[in-house]
Amino acid sequence: MENTFKPETIPGYIPNILRAFPVTMEILLISLLISLALGALVTAAGIGKRKWLKAIANSYIAFMRGIPTLILIFLIYLGLPQLAQSVGVDLTGVSKTVFIVACLSLSSSANMAEMMRASYLAVDKGQREAAYSVGMKEFTAFRRIIFPQAFGIAIPALGNNIIMLFKDTSLAFAIGVIDLMGKARAISSASYGANRLEVYIATGIIFWAACIILEYCSKFTEKIYTKGRKKATS
Amino acid sequence: MDFKFIIEALPKIMLAVPITLFMSLVSAAAGWLLGLSIALIRKHRVPVLSQFSAVFVSFMRGVPMVILLYISYYALPILLYSYGLSIGINIDINAVPPIVYAIIALSLDQAAYSSEIFRSALSAVDEGQMEAAFSVGMTRTQALMRIIFPQALAIAIPNLGGIFVGLVKGTSLAYYVGVYEITATANLLAMPALNFIEAYIMTTLIYEAISFVLNKLFRICEDRLKKFRAGASA
Repeated sequence: MENTFKPETIPGYIPNILRAFPVTMEILLISLLISLALGALVTAAGIGKRKWLKAIANSYIAFMRGIPTLILIFLIYLGLPQLAQSVGVDLTGVSKTVFIVACLSLSSSANMAEMMRASYLAVDKGQREAAYSVGMKEFTAFRRIIFPQAFGIAIPALGNNIIMLFKDTSLAFAIGVIDLMGKARAISSASYGANRLEVYIATGIIFWAACIILEYCSKFTEKIYTKGRKKATS
Repeated sequence: MDFKFIIEALPKIMLAVPITLFMSLVSAAAGWLLGLSIALIRKHRVPVLSQFSAVFVSFMRGVPMVILLYISYYALPILLYSYGLSIGINIDINAVPPIVYAIIALSLDQAAYSSEIFRSALSAVDEGQMEAAFSVGMTRTQALMRIIFPQALAIAIPNLGGIFVGLVKGTSLAYYVGVYEITATANLLAMPALNFIEAYIMTTLIYEAISFVLNKLFRICEDRLKKFRAGASA
């Protein structure tokens, strides 16, 4: 076995891999929006009064947190079309990106729901009572009093969840989407694997840099948002 | 649904469960020990090592698991081989099973995440506890082992449980470096007759069961360790 590792070639691969960055960003942003919406629904069901809704919300979260994202991807991409075919629905025309967005939204929505529930519960009860006492309706109290405070509490966890979701987008290559990781694999197989280590290190550096930027944004947002606000946690 | 396939494949997939669990346990044991060391190094600001640890943790948290696995899988054989040459042994790289590379990548990942958990747990234990231990004549090691660590562990255990379940889910990615754990076995069995939906439903149920049992176990640990928590955090 020859040592063929050429670290000096690593930076050269970065621009080439970055050409797939828009695909990764597209997957990330759409999944993020859907997972936030789904997470909000699950949270609303989880903190509501109806017992059966609560049970559904809790089992949904437990299920999504128990299944590896890769298995969810396989289950939905390979399994769902088979299942759909048996009831007469044809899913063969659906693009791979749609499947990957669906999987990532589902798996991330459980984390989002947990985050939303925790920050909702962290807002002091007295805040709601105070809002009612000045005549606000339930929804107005939520929109103007509870939500702004819960959002401030949620920012660090939201940042973490976004970073996790971003890292999970790297699994899109599992079903052949050409995102950052898919691009890296394409480059390395074009050279029959001769430069695979350099290419994967280059991809790692891209993800690392992006995560550092995301983390910085999350810290910055938290600082700006919580400036001048009193901590309202119970 | 092909029930004949399920009956035939289920025992074979179950045979892979010990491999997944073995990988997780070894990685967690090695990773958490390293993580605790990193936490202590960063807490006491050991020069050079502390800065090195900070970069290591940031890298590990920013790079997706699947890329870490690939880097470990392609880089370690080169390192191992050239190390062997430098001490005059010709190591047969092909004799090293891929599970070794997977375990090393997973351990380093666990080290990074657990070090953050240990760090916040250690700083959550009141400073006065250490002073009190000194005042009754304990040495530094005694104080750490008998007073600080039990309390820190009680604080850390829920989060450790979280990353351990994440680790078990992460082992599904070892499929890409050729480890025949649950996911790879299911894939292999599903291929010939395209029994994807059956194979992945079984895999999902197995992972869900493992996560469920692990969550219960960590809940029990948490209850057991509760006695160390009473009024201990600052």
